[in-house]
Amino acid sequence: MTASPTPAAGRPLLDVADLHVEFDTHGGVVKAVRGVSFSVQAGRTLAIVGESGCGKSVSVLSVMGLVPTPPGRITRGAARLGDVDILRRKIVDGHDVRGSRIAMIFQDPMSALNPTMRVGDQIAETLQVHRGLSRADAFRRAVEVLAQTHIPDAEARAKQYPFTFSGGMLQRAMIAMAIACEPEVLIADEPTTALDVTIQAQILDLLQELQRRTGMAIVLITHDLGVVARMADDVSVMYAGEIVESGSADDVFYRSAHPYTLGLRAAMPSQATTKAAGLQPIEGTPPDLFDPPPGCAYVARCPHAMHLCRPHRPEPFQVDPAHHARCWLHHPGAPAGRDGVYRGARA
Amino acid sequence: MLAYTVKRLLQGAATVWFIATATFVAMHSVPGDPLANQRATSEEIRRNLEERYGLDRPVIEQYGIFLGSMLRGDFGISFTQENRRVNDIIRENFPVSATLGILAVTFAALGGILWGALTALYRNRLPDLVITFLVILGISVPSFVVAALGQLALVNLNAAVGEPLLPVAGWGTLRHMIVPSLVLGLGTMAYLTRLMRSSMLEIADADFIRTARAKGLPPTRIFLKHQLRNAILPVVTVLGPAIAAITTGGFVVELVFAIPGLGRYFVTAVQQLDYTVIMGTTVFYGAFLVVMVIAVDLLYGWIDPRVRLE
Repeated sequence: MTASPTPAAGRPLLDVADLHVEFDTHGGVVKAVRGVSFSVQAGRTLAIVGESGCGKSVSVLSVMGLVPTPPGRITRGAARLGDVDILRRKIVDGHDVRGSRIAMIFQDPMSALNPTMRVGDQIAETLQVHRGLSRADAFRRAVEVLAQTHIPDAEARAKQYPFTFSGGMLQRAMIAMAIACEPEVLIADEPTTALDVTIQAQILDLLQELQRRTGMAIVLITHDLGVVARMADDVSVMYAGEIVESGSADDVFYRSAHPYTLGLRAAMPSQATTKAAGLQPIEGTPPDLFDPPPGCAYVARCPHAMHLCRPHRPEPFQVDPAHHARCWLHHPGAPAGRDGVYRGARA
Repeated sequence: MLAYTVKRLLQGAATVWFIATATFVAMHSVPGDPLANQRATSEEIRRNLEERYGLDRPVIEQYGIFLGSMLRGDFGISFTQENRRVNDIIRENFPVSATLGILAVTFAALGGILWGALTALYRNRLPDLVITFLVILGISVPSFVVAALGQLALVNLNAAVGEPLLPVAGWGTLRHMIVPSLVLGLGTMAYLTRLMRSSMLEIADADFIRTARAKGLPPTRIFLKHQLRNAILPVVTVLGPAIAAITTGGFVVELVFAIPGLGRYFVTAVQQLDYTVIMGTTVFYGAFLVVMVIAVDLLYGWIDPRVRLE
């Protein structure tokens, strides 16, 4: 497998800007994604973290063109892959960018594969469609790709049906399917959530190994901070349809600049066994996205909320050069407190 | 696979034996005299006839004789039609019924899959609403009404064209077969359409369809290779019973369109208590249906690999 041509360093491969997605439901319009921006460079891994329903999956599904319309609707924003806005145009040079330049793996490998089609054929299919290979050539190549995901006896396995595979093997097959056309960007939507812990580690190792070999960018959607720590170069923390903090993994973990990120860290299990080291849940629930609050979305649960947080929506403040947080505490006029929120190297 | 087939065939043989026994018992419990319509005018003639058909022996012995000759594939001689062997009746008339049935099933299955897929594709839009309305009509209207209406339509069509475009009744050429098999398959087709529609809609939301889209496959390929094949499974499951419904429903259609099928004998034999014809046609139809159901199960295994290993 040859590495994809790497663009000039520093220039993002996938650049999503100001994405807004809404859904029509019986209860009204849900504003699921409200101005999300993120970007990822070749060979790097961006993790998008957040609790269930915060819009992280919808964001990447929009990029893939997989949000069902209706009821979904992308009302604003752009997603550039190289020079092409793939929100508007999925077909570039006669080929669908999905599956060839940008690929995706899903949470539940048990249901993500076609039960009545041989695994090898499902991998070969993308090669036939995007690379124009013949059936036989595509199948041969599919066996090679399957072997790259460390499935033993790939030749025989490729001729079998998904129901004979275990969950971990299916996720490997799913990854093989995604990387068959050597995509520049791989989106992994909770790739290990449905698997047990030992298999999780193997799958993450596999993703890293493939990334090192091909130089692809990975966008990893997860709610598991352990997975983030293991995999991510950069992290974006999502809350209620917006990104509240973004920066390098070290920035976000060790220099958390948003109260929500601090809350997430406190809610993480640690290895300490004392009662005091127990989990600290974030009190309350996320806001109703039928009618999102005008100001900061986290205000109702934030221990550091101020008067202006409720009516005024904070813009992302720059904490350090590549570290942003959507929180009024970073306004020059905010009081400096002992709240544990990192205020930047200058502070 | 072979072991499975053999096992199913043995089960099928047991089923046929059960059908034969149940029919035999039921037939002999029906009050009436199979020779009443015959020329059993005097006691002597009656005795001769009873001796000829073995009716003078105890019922249990008759049952033994029947089973023995059934195993040899011989159903005996008709009570009502002089010297006519039941085997000949089946041999002469069954191919007509089978042709009609196969055409009707083919039409029902293809039509059901096609219309079902179409309604799912146009969900809640005009084509869906129109077809769904027709489907409810097709399920509710009994086949003898559809048959009569079909004939009426044919008469009017032929009158409008000015020459006999399609024959109104009878049997022989392919043109004779078209309308009766459409009429016979209509109810089943309507049922399969509904089944296919809901199955298609269910599959459309499946995760693996999303995967196929994420792979950037063209919509036609997703539809044919991923959605259709998986959606067909429930339809195939009910094909066995559907074949049963169509072959038994065939009697009425055969009657209306004056088709020389086996169904006529099946019905009149019961009315006339023609013991050998009743047994022959029932066991034959029973065996035919059992074989069809087994064939459908094997077909199911071919379509869905998950079933194959069992």
